[in-house]
Amino acid sequence: MSNVSVLALKGIYKSFGGVEALSGASLSLERGSVHGLVGQNGAGKSTLVKVLAGIHQPDGGTIEIGGHDTPHLTPHRAESLGIHFIHQDRLLAPTLTVAESLYLGAEPRWFGLPIIDRQRLRRDARDVLQRVFEIDISPDALVRDLSTAEQKIVQITRALLQNPRILVLDEPTTALVRSEAEHLFSAIDRLKAEGLSILYISHYLNEIERLCDKVTVLRNGKDVGTVSPREVPAAGIVAMMIDRKVDALFPKRTSVAGDPVLEVRGLSRDKELSDVSLTLRKGEVVGITGLVGSGTKAFARTLFGLMSPTSGEILLHGERLKPGSTVAAVARGIGLVPEDRRNHGISLDLTVRENATLASLSRFTRKLALLFAKERAAVGDFIDRLGIKTRGPEALLRNLSGGNQQKVVLSKWLIHGSDVVILDEPTVGVDVGAKVDIYREIRALADSGAAILVVSSDLLELTGISDRVAVFFRGRIVAERQASNLNQDDLLQLVTTGQTAEKIRNAAE
Amino acid sequence: MTIVYRFGLVIALLALVVVFSLFAPAFLSVANFQSILFNHFAILSLVAVGMTLVVASGGIDLSIGTAVDMASLGYILLLAQDVPPAEAIAAGLLLALLVGVFNAGLIATLEIPPFLATLGTLFIGQSIQQLATDGGVPVYLIAGAPRPIFGLVDSARLWLVAVSLVATFAVMTYSPFGRKVLAFGIGPQVARYSGLSTKTLTLKVFLLSSLLAGVAGIILSSSVKSYAPLSGNAYLMDAIGATFLGTTLNATGRASIIGTLVGVLLLSVVKNGLLLLGVSFYWQQVVSGTLIFLVLAVSFSGKSAAH
Amino acid sequence: MPLNRQSFSSATLVRLSAYGAFVIVILVFAVEARGFLSFINIANVLQQSAIAGLLAFGLTLVVLGGGGNVVTGGIDLSVAATLGLGAAVYATLIAQGQSDLVAVGATLAVGVLVGIANGLAVVRLHILPLLATLAVGKIVSGLEFVLTQNSVVTATSPGLTWLAEIGPLDVPIMAWALVIATVALLLLVQVSPFGLRLHAVGAHPEAARAYGLPVGPLLFLSYVFSGLLSAAAGILLAALLSGSSPGASEMLLPVVLAVLLGVVFSRRLVPTIGGTFLAVLFISILGNGFQLLNISSYWVNGVEGVLILFVVAWTTLSQREAHA
Repeated sequence: MSNVSVLALKGIYKSFGGVEALSGASLSLERGSVHGLVGQNGAGKSTLVKVLAGIHQPDGGTIEIGGHDTPHLTPHRAESLGIHFIHQDRLLAPTLTVAESLYLGAEPRWFGLPIIDRQRLRRDARDVLQRVFEIDISPDALVRDLSTAEQKIVQITRALLQNPRILVLDEPTTALVRSEAEHLFSAIDRLKAEGLSILYISHYLNEIERLCDKVTVLRNGKDVGTVSPREVPAAGIVAMMIDRKVDALFPKRTSVAGDPVLEVRGLSRDKELSDVSLTLRKGEVVGITGLVGSGTKAFARTLFGLMSPTSGEILLHGERLKPGSTVAAVARGIGLVPEDRRNHGISLDLTVRENATLASLSRFTRKLALLFAKERAAVGDFIDRLGIKTRGPEALLRNLSGGNQQKVVLSKWLIHGSDVVILDEPTVGVDVGAKVDIYREIRALADSGAAILVVSSDLLELTGISDRVAVFFRGRIVAERQASNLNQDDLLQLVTTGQTAEKIRNAAE
Repeated sequence: MTIVYRFGLVIALLALVVVFSLFAPAFLSVANFQSILFNHFAILSLVAVGMTLVVASGGIDLSIGTAVDMASLGYILLLAQDVPPAEAIAAGLLLALLVGVFNAGLIATLEIPPFLATLGTLFIGQSIQQLATDGGVPVYLIAGAPRPIFGLVDSARLWLVAVSLVATFAVMTYSPFGRKVLAFGIGPQVARYSGLSTKTLTLKVFLLSSLLAGVAGIILSSSVKSYAPLSGNAYLMDAIGATFLGTTLNATGRASIIGTLVGVLLLSVVKNGLLLLGVSFYWQQVVSGTLIFLVLAVSFSGKSAAH
Repeated sequence: MPLNRQSFSSATLVRLSAYGAFVIVILVFAVEARGFLSFINIANVLQQSAIAGLLAFGLTLVVLGGGGNVVTGGIDLSVAATLGLGAAVYATLIAQGQSDLVAVGATLAVGVLVGIANGLAVVRLHILPLLATLAVGKIVSGLEFVLTQNSVVTATSPGLTWLAEIGPLDVPIMAWALVIATVALLLLVQVSPFGLRLHAVGAHPEAARAYGLPVGPLLFLSYVFSGLLSAAAGILLAALLSGSSPGASEMLLPVVLAVLLGVVFSRRLVPTIGGTFLAVLFISILGNGFQLLNISSYWVNGVEGVLILFVVAWTTLSQREAHA
């Protein structure tokens, strides 16, 4: 491998309204290599990417592309220099077809006339998807009908069609299942072999280890080191990312399970759920997990009244809960921290206060009027308790980082005083620091007497914070165990096959 | 410079007041301010604030003029048949509320987008009025029959407007309902995931806005002592204009009652001032359109510059 | 990785139901109203649809580029005002003894100017399209007011007379104009890269920008097209009225309705030329059928409103079923 640097960011500074997001960050990408970029949320990764994309102008430092200093970078300039970005946000028009999305702006013409050659468009699209990802997506399918993974694949394929010299992948696997991610990884290997230089930004250190030749760790807007992930173990990289040690990631299990709070009996819904029964007790954290489509999401959504069951019943404190009504669920004391934070959890254009009290306005009302002072004080308390980093209760959610936004969602249900809190993938897109705070708060909530249900596909997280774990497979609960009796291998086996390793052995005999 | 952008609407209003005062001596007089209030501000403010509620909840109401008309229709038709005024008013308001309930049903239950739903209501309302008046013949109250309680005297009318506006402002600013409407308008899914009943909210918003429109209809027909079919539509575009002009005063573009009222005031002052300046009747629309355009240009270009 | 076939069938269901409603209305009129399916009547419907059709086509381009949400996205509320001003300009020039050629040129130029004003306001000044076009529409209808002093301007010219005549194959010239405009715009929007790109801008502006599409110029062009088509409709109006008369603004909401209704005729549920064409025809046929059945015209608006609510409600409900 040659040591020619195709891209060098040197001592980049950038601040927004007096807050320094980057304070002298440097990074050097070698030709034909895959270079990882890691760091907690708020460490400056996305700002650095946006500086590179020409979206933000740096306050100081230089950007060298192909050995040349390139001041005043614009998005257009960056692209013409061969830098292409796969952003986290889905950048595809939902009502375009796959083929149209791939070739938009460079549509194959019919004999050079301003007429789109639809046949060739379709054929080219099918071929390129087959070639790069070995995947068969109909070129006529509308983007909105694709799975998130398929959309990501279309997006990456589109970038590759532009013949990039440098490809920047920002968290490309967040929405992918393992096999899809594997497709992507082998595609990256192939592209690297063809001489493409790749900057790979990810939360997942196993991906970094699998893919990257070098990894740069950012902390507080500055690079704290560039190492080879094959030589430095993940724990070492994590240690570089945070100031404290990781051993205290999960809080100790302190609560004792009490009386049943929520009893689910024989819940069924079409093919998604069949005859699911589960009891949540006071002071207990129950974790559920399973593959995509295993029924964990449907279960959580049904409990919260977002979907109606076809049969079965939900008892809350022994009384029947009206099915299919979020209004009834919240009124009876159920709260949900949804997975899709930006669309379901918080409003970016509302303040911290307005978001946090939305589910419990009656608590702050006297004689039909809102008690603003009481409201502000209550929200202020939770800002302190959860360590929410913000200017105060009147700051817009837009100005908070992902982890802090998630804490606001959590405080919505803390203020509401819910006895049952459902958390759906509570730490997706949340940095390590905020994760620890959220885990601690979940445990504190259980200690204060609430029953908690956590839906998570992160098995380490699941066993770390739960007292009891239930595994879903094809709409049923196939195992329910105390978390302390579960090892990761068994759990993984259950999740992927619906059977324990023991059972499989017995069946084979 | 950001102040100019942010408060462009207020600055434009003040500038117009100064210009009109300088060049049209009659402008700066109590009598003229009364005329602005009675002739322009009173009705439009009610309709525009009704529109503001709907816009704040994330919708739009193209049939708000229909609610004005229906109130006017019920009120005048009953008065013409010697029904006591109080009952006629009640009937008029009830008809206006029906428009609101119909819209809310279409939007909350059938999930038709507000723009289309209220457009459909507008068309249905046109037919109802045409059928009720033989194609649009105005209904006049017989001049020879003075009614002691008929209508409302000028100042009472203005009080009614003031009370309606203040009450709505209070509800939207200080009640949980106002907060919920705001949250629903900005993030309907977040509202649902927070356990708010979005159907009830939609219904309440449309009830309140059609009630305001109904009050406007009663006041309108009281002052002109007649019902002219389809006349409420004349307020639609100005109400939308005032509401969205008002959103320029808010950093995140929220619709607000205060903003809307400033917008209504601007439109009213422009109409009145141009009249006093002696601008030809035919040119007035061109000039007022241009003025509004300029305010929009300053506010919006400032916003995009800030981002 | 299986595709979500279910939502394919739901979109198809929606489309089929929209077509179904259309066919049922036609069948009812065909059975009940004498002469409904006659050649003359069909040509007549086409002729009556021409003005609304041209306006709706312009609006279709704007809504397509604006992304469907007419409150926050793209809409052109100045189309009816431009129609009125176009007719007024044409009639006034003819009344002053100018030739048809000069009048056509001036009218279309006025339309383009209105489009440029809207386009600049939206693209350059970043004014919300709903407001920008509302303000421009106010100015434009004010200009019509100034030009005509709010009265009827009568005008006759060889051009206007020709436009009102019956053309080849016993089909009125205006019906031909509609058919030709439909085909030309179908080519522009559904076949050329311009249409696809405009659609991409509307569906996801950030994506379009990231893909290097000229977002601003595309949007700008859509408003210019809208102004041009509205002014062209003004020429047809002048031919129909033998001059111009106030009241063009009443065309606005029906045209908006037609464009939004047209969305349910497309697989992607976006505005298309074909969908808008069908929706305009649908609305004309309703009016025409009522006339033939001797039902009071006062009913027409209401029945239109109910039918459209019915179609849209059915659309949203069946979509919800499929996605639930």
